[in-house]
Formats: sequence, structure tokens, C-alpha cells
Amino acid sequence: MAKQVDLMQGTLDMLILKAVSLGKLHGYGVLLRIQQISGEQLVIQQGSLYPALYRLEHEGSIKSEWGESDNNRRAKYYTLTPAGRKQLIAETEKWNRMAGIIGAILSLTTNNWTEAEAEVQS
Amino acid sequence: MSARWSRLKSWLRSTLGRRRLEQDMDEEVRFHIEARADDLVREGVVPNEAIRRARLEFGAVASHKDAMRTSLGLRWLDDLWCDLRYAARILRKSPGFTAIAVGSLALAIGANTTIFSIANEILYERLGVPHPEQLRLFTLTGDKNVAVHSSWGNWDRLPDGRTTFNSFTYPIYQQLKKDNRVLQDIFAFKDLGHANVTVDGDAQAVQLELVSGNFYEQMKVNPAIGRAILPADDSAPGAGAVAIISDGFWQRSFGRSPNVIGKVINVNTIPVTIIGVNPRGFTGAKSVQSSPEVFMPLSMISLLRADSLGGPYLSNTRLFWVQIMARTKPEVPIAQAQTALNLAVSAAVRATMTLKKDDTMPVLTLDDGSRGLNFAARQFAKPVYVLLALVGFVLLLACANIANLMLARASARQREMSVRLALGAGRSRILRQVLTESLMISFMGGAAGVFFYFMGRSTVPRLFINAWERPDLNLSFHWQVFSFTAAVTILTGILFGLIPAWSSSKAEVGTALKEAGKTATKHRKAWSGKAIVAFQVALSTMLVVGSALFIRTLINLNSIDPGFRADHLLLFDINPPSKQYPAPKDVALHARIEEALRSVPGVQSVTLTDNPLVASDTSTSGFNIQGAPKVERKRGDNSGSVSLADVGHDFLSVMGIPVIAGRAFAPQDVNSPQRVAVVNQTLVRQLFPHDNPIGRRFSLDDNPEKQEWIEIVGIVGDTRYSNLKDEAPALHFDLYNQLQEIGGATYTIRTQMPPEAITPSLRAAVQKIDRDLPLMDIRTQQQQIDATTQQERVFASLTAGFGLLALALACVGIYGIMAYTVSQRTNEIGIRLALGAERGQVRSMVLREATWLALFGVLAGLAAALGLAQLVKSMLYGLKAADPLSFAGAGSLLLAIAIIAAWIPAMRASRVEPMEALRHE
Repeated sequence: MAKQVDLMQGTLDMLILKAVSLGKLHGYGVLLRIQQISGEQLVIQQGSLYPALYRLEHEGSIKSEWGESDNNRRAKYYTLTPAGRKQLIAETEKWNRMAGIIGAILSLTTNNWTEAEAEVQS
Repeated sequence: MSARWSRLKSWLRSTLGRRRLEQDMDEEVRFHIEARADDLVREGVVPNEAIRRARLEFGAVASHKDAMRTSLGLRWLDDLWCDLRYAARILRKSPGFTAIAVGSLALAIGANTTIFSIANEILYERLGVPHPEQLRLFTLTGDKNVAVHSSWGNWDRLPDGRTTFNSFTYPIYQQLKKDNRVLQDIFAFKDLGHANVTVDGDAQAVQLELVSGNFYEQMKVNPAIGRAILPADDSAPGAGAVAIISDGFWQRSFGRSPNVIGKVINVNTIPVTIIGVNPRGFTGAKSVQSSPEVFMPLSMISLLRADSLGGPYLSNTRLFWVQIMARTKPEVPIAQAQTALNLAVSAAVRATMTLKKDDTMPVLTLDDGSRGLNFAARQFAKPVYVLLALVGFVLLLACANIANLMLARASARQREMSVRLALGAGRSRILRQVLTESLMISFMGGAAGVFFYFMGRSTVPRLFINAWERPDLNLSFHWQVFSFTAAVTILTGILFGLIPAWSSSKAEVGTALKEAGKTATKHRKAWSGKAIVAFQVALSTMLVVGSALFIRTLINLNSIDPGFRADHLLLFDINPPSKQYPAPKDVALHARIEEALRSVPGVQSVTLTDNPLVASDTSTSGFNIQGAPKVERKRGDNSGSVSLADVGHDFLSVMGIPVIAGRAFAPQDVNSPQRVAVVNQTLVRQLFPHDNPIGRRFSLDDNPEKQEWIEIVGIVGDTRYSNLKDEAPALHFDLYNQLQEIGGATYTIRTQMPPEAITPSLRAAVQKIDRDLPLMDIRTQQQQIDATTQQERVFASLTAGFGLLALALACVGIYGIMAYTVSQRTNEIGIRLALGAERGQVRSMVLREATWLALFGVLAGLAAALGLAQLVKSMLYGLKAADPLSFAGAGSLLLAIAIIAAWIPAMRASRVEPMEALRHE
């Protein structure tokens, strides 16, 4: 089994939004998709997925409806709302910038200090 | 669509569809676990093991569900609901505590709400017109030489000797109105007091207010039905025989019939057409509390009343009688308007009056007119503030009481709190739980208090009016009153809940669990409880001292002998309109009525007076003894004047006033040209210290040319004159039949029949003479006397109620704290007894502790009461503010109560069985 990493604080919401953006999913499906995409490397406490789902729905980023699952069982399916899509785009952008900046800082050597500073300001 | 909106929508959906939400949550979780288990089975796990592992991977279902609820913003609601249910259960478990707490709080909040609503009505309520804050009342202030020589209206003497009044002559009003540029249009009004109104043959006395033609326009009030009084109605004397009636009068006499418009009623026998009905809540310009029944144009005064001494009212340049008001202009600062109008007043006085050498100008101020003439506030401000302070103390006392009880319970619940803390409850969570409990008590108390208020609000205004008057003071449940009550309720809840809540949440998990019930030494923790009880005792002492002072005042007043027999006397007023009965026709009319009443069955004797005794009425005049050197007196110097009353010839015998020397009036005096009078003993003492007054003559007028000599025929016993408090002034009774003019008079009838039984035949006898003459203010002499001690009675009964409540609460408080200490010290007492202490010693130990506690509170309370009593000194009669009897009585009463309250816990302590106490844990 590959080495697993714990989820960073605050990133679960983003992962859920991303997972749901690819098509409607029930809660278990969200879990499976995140694990599948991450190549089984991320550990998600299964139960903690739901408070996050409820919070996102409460804030209007996703919406839910009851439907039939593959094996003909009643399940609650989540889909992304337009507000959620906007949020996902914004969060993704923020994340990428953040990752870029942090990556730059961490790969910093003394001579390109000023360059990195300029990048932070941009 | 914002996230906030979405949150609100989601919150509402989940709150309202709570059951559905819970089902959905369950189903969703179940689906997850089953789906996971299916996958595990597919991977080759045995079904039972798969379910187990799926559950394990999911984690604690309950706590995840809790987190889901938190995500939806339901957590605080759930906690609140939980706290409420728990609080309700706790309160239900100790019904005695709950009943005492809620009951005392309800009484206190009810009393506070009632007194506050009275204060609100009397001190702060404004006239029912748009923007009352714009209204300014024109007020004059003058020194003793002010150029105002005759006035009809109220005036006040300022501490510096100047007088202030708000009357103007009509010509000055006209000129001010014409020249005014700094305020909106100036309008005038005059409260005429009682007028005789006949509706469909039924004569009744109503309050009449005259208003200028622009009054309604400037007040910005439109009648509910019909039209307003317009300038055209007021254009010339008698031009507008029209009237607008009040909502109350419409209800009472016309049953709210819309046909009232156009109806003709007689006002002082003048036919007047009703043109409109005032909206409910509009009370005219005089007062906020009650509305005159009839409003008529100011110029109608020429028809309603006989001309004043200086000619018709509207052209009289010397008589100051109309009140005037105007609204401010937003663009003109009030100081600027006042300066300009003050100059205008001086100019108008100079232009309309001929001034004497020494005359000084009155100074105009533009006073706040938003509450009309505001008599009630001036008259009742002090008593109302005193009452507010007293009920405030009662509320504080109730709070202290509940805080004390809760504190004792908090200590008893220490273990419960420790367990909760040990199980992981946060301190804030416990603080919130205990506060929820106290707020629940305060809300129940508040609700019951509002209920008391609604029960009391129809009776309380009765305390403030005379027995025979209609209660016009309507205590409506204003938003101010509501917010006051709500604020008081929440504040008290926090006030008495905070200390116990704080001490609960401070519980140390370890120690409290270990310690419980095992302390053998004196508990230091009861200290805050004892401080609260001492505070309670101090407050109770203050309230009891207050009630003792006021009750003693009332007793002193009631034991005053007025000097006449007040029993079985029926009084009523008859006020013949001066237009129909100009002097001396009024005197003849009264003589006819007096005669007619004498033959009514049930009437033992009849008399009348223009100045009923002990009715807050006075009349005074000069007293110049024939042959004595003339006394030079300046204006405003009343040193030589004496009081008088014009009476019928049977007055002395009807009233039971003893004749000391000489004779009483005789029937033959009535038609005799020689005027006669009887004088009281005080007058003799003051004015005839050395000689016999009988046969001497005096004159009322200082002016030698107008002197008419009155012969003194008898000396009578002293009686109280205008009120019970003041000693008899120098007083003489004159025979009204010998006067040129008397006007209105109060009839006094001695009868054994109850008032309501004899009134109809009296009314019939009067209406046989003039069907437009109503009997006004029918009351007994005793009611009349009681009316002058109204305020004292209100205070005595209210403070007595507060005092009783205070005693009961102090009793509960002392009992509670002593019972609690005894239960805490059971072990200690057991050890003492085991070591050989006498049971009597244990008992007195507990009693001694309670006595010290009470003594401390009593002394503090007496000291505070001593200071506060100085503030109500002017409201007391026949005793000093530091009345030793009241103070000593209140102090010993409280001590006695304390000992009685501590008796049961003390007995319980002395009955402790050492073996049981020591075995106990």
C-alpha cells in the first residue's frame, strides 16, 4: 500500500467540490472518487465527510436530491450549483497561487531572494 | 444570491422540517455504511465482518451527526432546547423553590410595571398630536410688581419669590399672533372647567375647553368624524355655536352613533351644534391624561359666561386668562424665537394696557408644551419618583432573594456540576445552563407580572383620583412599558443568575467530587449567601421603615378632629351659568334650591357654602375692624387677610360646629339689611386678643369708599379649613343671602339615607327649578375629606404592601440560608454533640448566628432609611423623618422575624443525632 498522507486543514471542501463538479455523486461516491483520483494516497475520515457536505450545501455551493443508486437503493446525490462552481474556480486559483508561492519559498536559494519577493508582491 | 440568504433558507428548512432532516441523515449514513460493506464483501470479506469494518471506518455516528447538525447551524438551537428542557425539569423537581422565586418576582415585576406605566403616563407621555415636541407653551414670569393685576388661571410661586403663570389677555394674544414671525401660527385655548350640558333632556356636568379657530389646524389633528373648528367659527363672539366632542363623551352619551353630527346640545343653556368627534387619544392641549368632553370656539366665551369685571373677556385688556401655544419653526432657533417674542410681549403690554408707575414687565419663556399645561407632572412628580424608588427596592429584594436561593441550590448541586465537568462539559456550557434556568424563572415571573399588571391597571388609577370622579387615566400597555418590563425581566434574570452560575462553573472537578458531604468544619462558602441575606434584611428594613412612616402619617391624619361632624353629610355642587343667572339672580336661585331641597323626603337639613371645608379650597379677603387704625398694606402682602366662607343660615347646625359665645345665624338674618357674620376662635385670638368681638363690625374691602360693615354676632369653634394638615386659620362665616353674588355653591345635606338612594329625588327637586342644572360631584363629606389625604392613603397602602412583601422575602431568605448552613454543618454539629455539647447550646449557636446576620442587616437598613427618609420629609405629617417609633418598630420587627425564621433550622440542628451525623458518609 502506498504511503498515505493526512488531509490538510480546509482542503476537504475543495476536494468535495472538485469531485462533485465531475458529475452528481452520493456521499460514498464522493469518498470513492477522491480516493480514486488521489491514487488511494489521501486518508479521509469517512464520517467527517458528511459535516463538510452539509456545510457546503448549507452555504449553497452544492445541492442535493434523493435518487436511485446503481444497486437500486435510495441515496442522496449532490451536484454543484453555479455558486459552487464559481467557488471552486476561485479556490483552485487561490490554491495554485499559494502552492506556487510556497513552492518558490521552499526552493529558495540566497541569490534569488529578491526575485521571489517580487513574485509574492505580484 | 448571497451565501447568507442560502444559509437562512437552509436553516429555516432544517429547523421547520426537523423530523425529516433527522430521517434523511440516518438514511444517508446507513446507505454509506451499507455501500461500504457491500464493497468490502466484494473484496472478499465475510458479510458480518464487512459491516463491522464499515462501521469502524465510518467512525462515531452520533458525533458525526452532531457535526452535521452544527454544519446546518442547528447546534445552538439544540443546546438551547436541551437547556430549556433540563431547566424545566430541575424547576419542576423543586416546586417550592420555583413557586417562591416566580411568585416573588411576579409581584415585584407586576408592581414595577404598574408604577412605571403610571410614571410614564404622568411624567413622560406627550399629547396625542403629530410632532408634540414642536409645541411651545408661552409662560410669563414676573416679580411682585408685575403689570398683571388680575388673572384667571394657575400660577406658581418660584423659590425666589417671583411668580410664573401662563395666562395672557386676549388683546395681547391677538397682537402676538399678528406680529409673530419666529414661530408657526400662535393658537390659544382655555380650560373652562365644569359646564352644564344637556343632552336629550339629561343635564350633566362636563369639562369644557375653548379653543381658537386655528387650534385644530396647528395641532394637526383631524376629527374622527365631522369637521374641525375653523377660523370662521371663531371670527366673532357667538359666530360659531358649534362643538367637537371627545371620543369618551361620544361613547358615553351617544353610543358612538354617527348621527351625532348635526345634533344640538345645550351648553350652559346655549344651543350648540355638534360638528365633529375627536379621534381617540387626542386630549386637547391641557393635559395628557384626560380629555375635556366638549371643545368650542374661544369667542363663545361671551355667550357662555357673564362678562368679567373689566368688560367682555375678549376686549378686556387687564384680565390675563387665555393660554397660548405655538409650534416651532425648524429654521428658527428657540432662543432667537424667545428673544423676539419677549420683546413682542413687552410691546403688546405697553400697547394694550395703561401701566402704573411701579409696574414691571413680565418675562416670556417658551416652555416645553409637548405635555400640555402638565399639571399632573408638577403635582405628582415627587410621589411618583418616590414610588419608583420603592418598587425598585422591592425588585432588588426579590432578585436578592432568588440569588440567595439559587446560590444555596448551586452548592447543593456542586456534585452534579462536577460530574458534568468531569464528563467534558465546558465551563461556558455550564454557565449557560444555569443562566438558562434563572432566565426561565425570570421569564415566568415576568409573564405573571404582566398578568398582575393587567389585573391591577384598572384599579391603580383609582388610587390617584377622587372617589366620585370618573377614572380618566388610562394605563395602556405602551411599547415603552413593554420594553421596560422585558428589560427588567432579563436584567433580573441575569442579576440573580450570574453569581450562582459563576460559582457553579467554578466547581473543581476533583475536589468537589471527593469533598462532597465530608467537610466537618464551618463552611466558608456560605459567605456570599450571607452577604446577600444581610443585604436582603437591610432592604426589607428600609421598606418597612418607609411603610411605618407613611402608615403613621395616615393614622395621624385620620385621628385629626376636623371640628365638625363629617358623618351622614352628602355634598354636591350646583354651578348656575353666570350668563343666565347674573348677580344677584344667582343668590336668589340658590335660596330657592335650598328651600326646595329642604322638603325632599329623607333630608334632615340643608345648607350650602361657596367654600366647602377640607376640600382644598380657600378664599381670603382683607379684614378691617371698624374703629381700628387702618393698616397700610402693599400688594401681595397677605399679612392682614383672613379666610372666609359664605354659607347658608343653617350651616353651623348642619355641620355640627359648636357656638362658643354669642349666637348662630337666625332665619331673620336672611332678609335683614344688617350683614352678620360669625368668627372662629383663632380669629378672635389673633385679632381681638383683649376685647370681646361680639357686636364689633368689620369690612372686607380695604378701600374706605367701598366699605360695607358686617357685624360679628357669634364665636364658633375652630374647624379645619382647606385641608386636614393645617391648623384652623383665622376664619369667618358670612351669610350668602346677604351677598350680591355667589356663583357656584356646594350643597351640604344631612341625611340618614345612603347617597345613591336620595340623589334621584334631590336631582328631581333641582330640575323642577331649572332642567338644565346638573348636580355635580356628588360625594359624601367623608369622601371629600379622604380626597385631601388621597396621596397619603395611596402611599400608606402601597408601602404597606411592599413592606409585607419585604418581610415575607426576608423571612424566606433567612430561613433558606440558615437551613442551608445547618445542613452543611451536620457533621460538625454531630461532633460537637458527641463531644458533649448541650442541645440548647447548639440551638443558640444557630440562633446567634442568624441574629448577628439580621442585626448587621437591620443596622445597615436603618442607617440607609435615616438618609432616605429626609427625602420624603415633606410627605409626612405629625412625625419627624427620623421617627423613633417607626425606626425602632421596624428594626425589632425584622429581628423578630429573623429569629422566627431561624427557629426551625435551629431546632433541626439541636435534634441532630451524633451517631447518624457521623455515620452519614
